[in-house]
Amino acid sequence: MYGQTVAVKNVSFEVNKGEILGFLGPNGAGKTTMMRVITGYFPPTDGDAIVAGHSVLTEPLEVKRRIGYVPENPSMYKEMKVVDYLKFIGSIKGVPRAHVGESVDRVIRRCALQSVTGKHIGQLSKGFQQRVALGQALVNDPPVLILDEPTSGLDPKQIHEIRELIKSMAGTRTIILSTHILPEVSMTCSKVVIINEGEIVAVDSTDNIGSRFAQHNQIEMIVQGQPEKIIEKLSELEGIMRIDNMSNRYTLDVEKDRDLRAQVAKKIIESGFDLLEMRTKAMSLEDVFLRLVMEEEGV
Amino acid sequence: MRNIAEIFKKEIRFYFSTPIAYVVMFIFAAVFGFLYFRNLTYYSELSYQLMQNQYFAQRVDLILGVFAPVFNSNSIILLMVIPPISMRLFAEEKKSGTIELLFTYPLRDVQMVLGKWLAAVTILLCMLALTVPAPFMAFGFAKSAEWGPVLSGYLGMFLMSLAFLSLGILISALAENQIVAIIVSYGTLLAFWFIGWAVDPDSGRQIGKILGELSIISHLTNFIKGVINTTDLVYYLLFIFSSLFLTLRVLESKRWRG
Repeated sequence: MYGQTVAVKNVSFEVNKGEILGFLGPNGAGKTTMMRVITGYFPPTDGDAIVAGHSVLTEPLEVKRRIGYVPENPSMYKEMKVVDYLKFIGSIKGVPRAHVGESVDRVIRRCALQSVTGKHIGQLSKGFQQRVALGQALVNDPPVLILDEPTSGLDPKQIHEIRELIKSMAGTRTIILSTHILPEVSMTCSKVVIINEGEIVAVDSTDNIGSRFAQHNQIEMIVQGQPEKIIEKLSELEGIMRIDNMSNRYTLDVEKDRDLRAQVAKKIIESGFDLLEMRTKAMSLEDVFLRLVMEEEGV
Repeated sequence: MRNIAEIFKKEIRFYFSTPIAYVVMFIFAAVFGFLYFRNLTYYSELSYQLMQNQYFAQRVDLILGVFAPVFNSNSIILLMVIPPISMRLFAEEKKSGTIELLFTYPLRDVQMVLGKWLAAVTILLCMLALTVPAPFMAFGFAKSAEWGPVLSGYLGMFLMSLAFLSLGILISALAENQIVAIIVSYGTLLAFWFIGWAVDPDSGRQIGKILGELSIISHLTNFIKGVINTTDLVYYLLFIFSSLFLTLRVLESKRWRG
């Protein structure tokens, strides 16, 4: 709780080993709060989070040993050199003294920090700082990574690099990342939790979530001919809910679970028009997200 | 143990990679040196005159003449230079946001507090070490060296400074920025200083005695005279311990409140 306002409530979800879970929600939805609870930064007023078999309430140190955390705007000791900083973090995260150097080298290679090891953190660009932040999270090789908006404030090239880095870190690790950028989720995550105003509105795999929440499928096509006549002919078909057109491009909303492609094609040819292109389109994550969040707000 | 050492190293590195430690030590050494020089020259002139008289000659005393006044004035300098050392310990981490990551590392609060506190104590020891040549110099000229009261005076100054530091770290944990931390530290320390003067301790009233005992400075007097009193020792140790304990409670409550 922040003061008297309940920031997050009735939130329950599971992440398995090797999964990349995306927390998706508008700004202020409670993503950061949830992540802070999982990292043990502050305890939940009610409920619990179990990380790799340890409770944040009863064994916070065990949980913290198994987590690498990158906050949204990671503040690190600006006056420290990158290599010294990573050594310091490695040591307080419990990397055995003899292996600290080795772990730091590994992280420097992993996060491509070779060119800046001797620089002070305060001098680095935002992109490099973000990599140092990832480095401090990875230095003790934790099984769980928690990344709060890992790409915010970066330029497109840096965003791409950080995303690739995140993807390469999955596999044996569990990664939870939060974002309000939709394509980021479809590009990097295998599972999505959509939250709004502190409550979960949907949990599913990235592939499923689009089709699961779709109320209709869409057919897009390009047809040559008089639009009024084409629309008139298409309206005769059963199962088409809506027809939109822009010059010779048509978008049909079709009832869910019905494939009308064959009928539509036949109808157009029989009516003497030319069908140039046709494809189906599943509802995008963006559509799902907007719909779920809008519904919540009663818009 | 290792975590305390790591935090300690990080803080020490910070103190010496920024001007703080040097500036504080320089100011302290300069003011101490000036006070010492003034008292020593005054004392040597005075003792020359007193030597004319047999009775006074026996009363001439380096401790009463030089070290007691220097140590007494020194307590004011310590009050001025210690808050700049302690103010940043937590306030800076909170202001810059580094506390967020620090709180997510597998560290106990007590390790964090002790590591930081010990680093500040080290700066304090370096500061006091700068003054050590003074008694050697004075006793080098004197016929007989009376080390006892000087050592107990140092012990008293050290304990009082530890009390200042511990209160400082508590205030740093409470404050959101360093400016607030240093001002509140000065205010609180001065309050603990003046509390003894609120009611005259010799007025015979109970409250005067109690307030006198609470004063952070009144317990230094015995040490400077060369008397190590259990009451004074316990006062400082209790002051240090409760400040550090409260610091831990403050950190804990910050976590619960987010």
